[in-house]
Formats: sequence, C-alpha cells, structure tokens
Amino acid sequence: MESQIELVYEDMHGKSNAKLIRFIGDLDATNVETVLEKVCNLFNDGFINLVADFKKLRYVNSTGLGILLHFSKSAKEKGGSFKIANVNENVYEIIEIIGATSLLEIYDDLDEAVAALK
Amino acid sequence: MKKEIKITVCDAPETQNAVIMSFDGELDTAGAAKISESFLQIYNSTRNFCIADMSSVTLFSSAAMGELVRGRQNLIDKGGDLVFSGMSLEIRTKLNLMGASRIFRFYNNIRSALNAYKWEIEKNPEQVQLSFPSYLELVPPVRHLISRIARHKGYGMRDSFRIETIVDEVCNNAVEHGRQTSDSVINLDMKIDPQGVEFNITNQVDSEQLSTLKTVMKAESDSKPGVNEKRGRGLALIKMLSEEFSIDYSESITNVHVKKARRE
Repeated sequence: MESQIELVYEDMHGKSNAKLIRFIGDLDATNVETVLEKVCNLFNDGFINLVADFKKLRYVNSTGLGILLHFSKSAKEKGGSFKIANVNENVYEIIEIIGATSLLEIYDDLDEAVAALK
Repeated sequence: MKKEIKITVCDAPETQNAVIMSFDGELDTAGAAKISESFLQIYNSTRNFCIADMSSVTLFSSAAMGELVRGRQNLIDKGGDLVFSGMSLEIRTKLNLMGASRIFRFYNNIRSALNAYKWEIEKNPEQVQLSFPSYLELVPPVRHLISRIARHKGYGMRDSFRIETIVDEVCNNAVEHGRQTSDSVINLDMKIDPQGVEFNITNQVDSEQLSTLKTVMKAESDSKPGVNEKRGRGLALIKMLSEEFSIDYSESITNVHVKKARRE
C-alpha cells in the first residue's frame, strides 16, 4: 500500500541531455526507492539536466527530501543540474525548515527553470 | 389530524451550559406562541446554549421561525447560541428558502450537535487511538486519516499538513528503529482540541535497537544535524513543527510525545 507517485517524462526541445519530469502524488518513505531508481536511470542514460515540475506533488517528507538532495548532488557531479519548479507552499515549508532551500535550485515556475538550463 | 405542539426543555447531559429543547407536533402559528414560554425557562437558568431538536416536527411556520430567531438572539446576548438538530429534509429545504441557513446551524442529530458544542464551547478534546502493525506501507493511510480528522475539526490546510508530516516522521522512525517482527505494533494516541494536538506514539524495541537509538538520539541532540544527514532531518522537522517533543525509553518500549499548537 505504498503512496501513489507517478513520474511523467517529457523531452525538452533543443536540449538532448535534458528531461522534464512531472511528479504526481506523494513522495515519501514507501516510494523513494522506486523514484531513486527511475531518476538514476535517467542519469545513466545521459540525461544530466533534469527539471522537476512539482505542480502536482502534494507531499514530501524528510526521506523524499533526501533523495532530492541526492539528485541535485549527482547532477552537479556529472556536470549537469537538477532544478525544481512549482513547489506548493506546504512542500516549500518542509524544504525551508530542513534548511535545504539553499542546496536545491528552486524556481517559481517551469519557464524560469527551463530558461536557467545551460 | 392536527397535532398540537409539545415542547420540553431539559439539561443536556454531561454539559455545563447546554439544554435540549425538543419539539413534537406542528409548529404552526398557535404553536409558535408556546416557544417564547419555553425560552423563559432557559433565560431563568444559567444555561445559554440550546439544541432545538426538530426530529418530531411535522410542520414549521414562519411565525415559529420568528420566535426561534428572537430566542436565538436572546441567547447570543447571554453569550450562547441556538442550533437545530434532526430536521427533516422537507422542512429544512423550506427553511433554507427563508434564509435560515444564513442564521442557524443544522446538525443531523442531537449527538452531532452536542459534539459540536463540547468542541467549540467547552473546548473538550477528542481522542483518537490507533493500533497498527509496524509496516512502512501502513504509515501513509494513517497519516492521511489523522490529517483528515484535523481538517474535519476545523484545522486549516497548512496546519493539517504539518500534523500529517509529524505523524509521518514519527511513525516512519518507529518502523525503522522498532522491533522487526511480524507481531510488532505501533500505538498512536492523539488528543485534539481547538487549541492544538497532542500525540503519544509507542512502539516496541529490542534492547540492541534501544541502545543504538539512544546513541543516535544523543548525538543528534548534542549537535545540530546537518541537512545532509538522513537521520537528523526527520527529527529536526518534528522539533520545528511542534512545541513539545520528547522520547521516553523503557526496557522494550519507546514512547514519542509531541505537542503541536494550532496556528490557523
């Protein structure tokens, strides 16, 4: 009975090493391993610039936040980036409380995040 | 055959200030006159919250509505209120056309009205007790349930989310650090009132886990956990979201106590 989370991928026009990932649902301890595997597969396939759209991500806990930090770190190590857009105020509060706002690249909207890609 | 209205007033059990005014019959114009007499009984007492039980009312006139509006205003002037319970759909629809829903609150039955009174006026806490197997997959439905209860009791979206997060983090820790046997259980005890929520979440641990847990907890309380440290993040979150947070250990049981004030 793990929490429902769905990742929907979209290619980004003109950026062959980038992917847009739409997170839908709740990201918590019951599904982090699945999400971790999926995103790491993207890294392994050469997509080192990832933009995560959190518009439909309702909930993140500390475990979920942990893998977001991991994605950010991994992307940077590969010369890319992991950007997040459309974070709702509840999720943002959690990120802020934990002190991760300076460690994650968070944008108000998707266009800003995409424009910031190298 | 016309049924003359019969009105009885009695103290609502286990309350300090509530009465139940029960109506039986037709609240026509003649019956409306009896309403003000019944209200006198309440005005002459110390009680000021009236639950008007309409479950046996077969007709409701505008004259009766007028008397009840007046009676309600007098109770409000005394710091109280008047609410309806048990009204038939037919009569309620008619009253809504008169604009009654802008003035009165309606409850399905006396019990619901009493619960609302105890919650709002006497600030009585309500208690939820859950016991569930210590499986990670059961934590999401538990936290969703607690969040919905908070919303149902009038807590805002943000506060309900914070409460959900607290429950999630504490229960995840209980699963991760608790006894890993098929009979291992987590007990969640929640008290909720208009001012805030209080949790006691208990689970079983074995002595080795307890020793490890104490070492981890001490290290985390001695130093500020780094944002990149997995264990510290959950605890930091609970501490920041709550007003009180403590963990008590006994030989084989860990009890986490969290108190969170209502912020919205």
